[in-house]
Amino acid sequence: MASNEFVIPERYEDLTPAPQVDNKTLNRMALRSYWLQSSFNYETMQSGGWLFAMIPGLEKVHTNKHDLSVSMYHNLDFINTHPFLVTFVMGIVLSLEQNKMDIQTIRAVRISAASPLGGIGDALFWLTLVPITAGITSNMAIDGNLAAPIIFLVIFNICQAALRFGLMKWSYSVGTSAIDSLTANMQAFTRAASILGCFVVGCLTVTMGTTQINLMIPNGTTRGLAATTIVVSNEEAENFADAAIDTETAEPGTIGMTDMDGAALTASDADGNAVETGIVDLGNGMSQVTYGTVTETDVNYSVASTLDSVLPKLIPLMLVLLLYFLFAKKNFTPLKGILVLFLLGILGAGPFGLWPNIW
Amino acid sequence: MDVSIVQIVLVFLVTFVAAIDQFDFLESLYQPIVTGPIIGAILGDVNTGLVVGGTYQLMTIGNMPIGGAQPPNAVIGGIMAAVFACTLDMDVNLAVATAIPFALLGQYGVTLFFTLRAPLLEFFRGCAEKADTKGITKWTVISEVILGLIFAAIVTLFFIGGQTFGQTVVDAIPEWLNNGLTAAGNMMKFVGFAILLKVMMSRDMWAFFLMGFGLAVIGANITTIGSSAILLVLTFIGFGIAFWDFQQQTELKGAALDGGDFSDGI
Repeated sequence: MASNEFVIPERYEDLTPAPQVDNKTLNRMALRSYWLQSSFNYETMQSGGWLFAMIPGLEKVHTNKHDLSVSMYHNLDFINTHPFLVTFVMGIVLSLEQNKMDIQTIRAVRISAASPLGGIGDALFWLTLVPITAGITSNMAIDGNLAAPIIFLVIFNICQAALRFGLMKWSYSVGTSAIDSLTANMQAFTRAASILGCFVVGCLTVTMGTTQINLMIPNGTTRGLAATTIVVSNEEAENFADAAIDTETAEPGTIGMTDMDGAALTASDADGNAVETGIVDLGNGMSQVTYGTVTETDVNYSVASTLDSVLPKLIPLMLVLLLYFLFAKKNFTPLKGILVLFLLGILGAGPFGLWPNIW
Repeated sequence: MDVSIVQIVLVFLVTFVAAIDQFDFLESLYQPIVTGPIIGAILGDVNTGLVVGGTYQLMTIGNMPIGGAQPPNAVIGGIMAAVFACTLDMDVNLAVATAIPFALLGQYGVTLFFTLRAPLLEFFRGCAEKADTKGITKWTVISEVILGLIFAAIVTLFFIGGQTFGQTVVDAIPEWLNNGLTAAGNMMKFVGFAILLKVMMSRDMWAFFLMGFGLAVIGANITTIGSSAILLVLTFIGFGIAFWDFQQQTELKGAALDGGDFSDGI
C-alpha cells in the first residue's frame, strides 16, 4: 500500500518550540472534538475524528509543511478514549507538539493518556449523569410532561460543553503534569462515582420497577347470608315463616328465615350491616319480611400482596439480581439477557393458553 | 393511518440527524426521550410519542456504548417504537417490545458498518501525507453523510413498509403473546440496571445498592413527594454518601502520607 511508504522520522525538522496557542484556536479544537467519532471504525477507532479535531492546533504549531504532514500522519494512530473527555488528551498532546517533543514520546503519551479515560468517562456520563437525568426526565415524560426532553437536553449538554471546553484549556495549560494530577485521586474518584451509581441503580429498581406477579389463585369459597327485605300480604308472609335452613350445608340461593332450631338468622344487607331475619306485621294487612339468601363467593389468594408483605418490589429486585448474575458470572451478553426476559415474559403470559397469565 | 409525503420526508430527516448524533455532535439528540416526542409530533400525537420515548429511555439507561460495546441501536429502536405506538395505536410497552428486533438489526448493522468503514482511513492517510487539512474535513463530512443516509433510508423503509405490514402483524398477535411481550417490554429496563451494576460492582458496593433500594422503598410510600421528585431527593442523599466517602478516601491517603514522612518531622 502506498501509505506504508510514508516514513515518520524520529523528530520534527523544525525543533523551535512554537508560541503559545491562543484561546480562539483552543475553542475551535473543542468545538471540532464534538465530531471525534465521525469516522469511527474497528481498525483505528476514533483516529479520523481525532485528527479532524487536532488540525486547528497542529496548523498553528507546525509552520513547516513537512512537519505538519508527519504530525497529521502519526495523529491517525489507533485511539479510543471517551468522547466527552477527549479534549483533556488533546490539550496534553498539543502542548507536546508545540514543544516539538520526540514523535515517539507524543505517540506514547497520547495512547496512555487516552485509554484510561474510557473508564472514568463511562463512570461520569453513562453511569452517573445519564441514568440520573434520564431516569428523572423519563418519569416526567411517562407522566406526559413535555418539558422532560428539554430538561434532559439542557442538563446533559451544559455538562458536556463545560467538560469539553474546560478540559481543553486546563489540560493544555497544565501540560503533561495534568495526567498526574488527575490520576492521583483517580481511585477515590472512581470509587465515589461507583457508590453514587450503585445507590441510584438501587433507587431506580424501586421507582421504575413495576413488574409484579398479579396472579390470583382460587382458594375455595366463603359462605354468607344476604338479607332481603320485602313487603307482602300477611297470607304470603306465612309462607316464609317456616323456612328453616342449615346455613352450613344449604345450596347457594336457598332462602331461609330461621336456623334448624327455629332461632332468627343474622344476615348482612347490601351495605354490609348485620340484620336479623323476621316478620313484622305492619297492621294494614301487609307484613314486612326480612329473609336471608345463602351466598357462596370465590376467595382468591393474591400472590402480589403476599410478595409485598415479604418485601415490596421483590420481583424487580430478583430480576435485577438474576440478570446481574447472568452478566457477571455467566458472561451473558446484554442480548442474551434481553432474550431471557422475552422468554420469561411470554412463558409467564401462558403461551397458547396453556396456563393463566401471571403478569 | 395514512401517511403523507411530508411525514415520510420528516421522518427521513429526523433519522438522518439522529443517526449522526448517536456518535457525534451533541450525543443526546438521538436519545429516545428526545426522538419520541419529535416523531410523535410528525405523526400528530406528541403525547404518545413522549410517553413511548420515556419508556424506551428507561430501558436504554445503562444499555449504552460502554467500553466500545454496541448496545441495541437506540436510534432505530426509539424511532420505531414511537412509530408503532402513534400509527398502530399500540400499547406503549408493547410498542417498545415490538421495536426491539429492529433495534437489534440496527446493532448488527452498526457493527458491520464500522468494519466496512476501515478502508476510508486510507483517504485520511492520503490527505495527511500531503498535509491537506481541507481534505480531512471533506472526508469527515462524507463519512458522516454516508452513515446518516444509510440509517435514514432503512428507517424510512421500515416506516412505509411497517404501515400495512405492521397492522397485519398486530392483528395476528394472540392475546397471550400480547401480554407476554408487554410484560417483557416492561422488564427490559432491568437489563440496563444489571449491566450498570456489572460495570460498577465490587464487594463493597452491594451495601450501597441495597441502601438505595431500601431508601427508595420508603420514599416511594411518601405520597407527598412526587414520583419525579423522589428520585432527585434520593440522588442528593446518594451524592452526600459518595462525597463523604471520597473525602474519607483522599484524606486517609493524605494522612497516611503525612504520618509516614518522618524525615520532615521533629
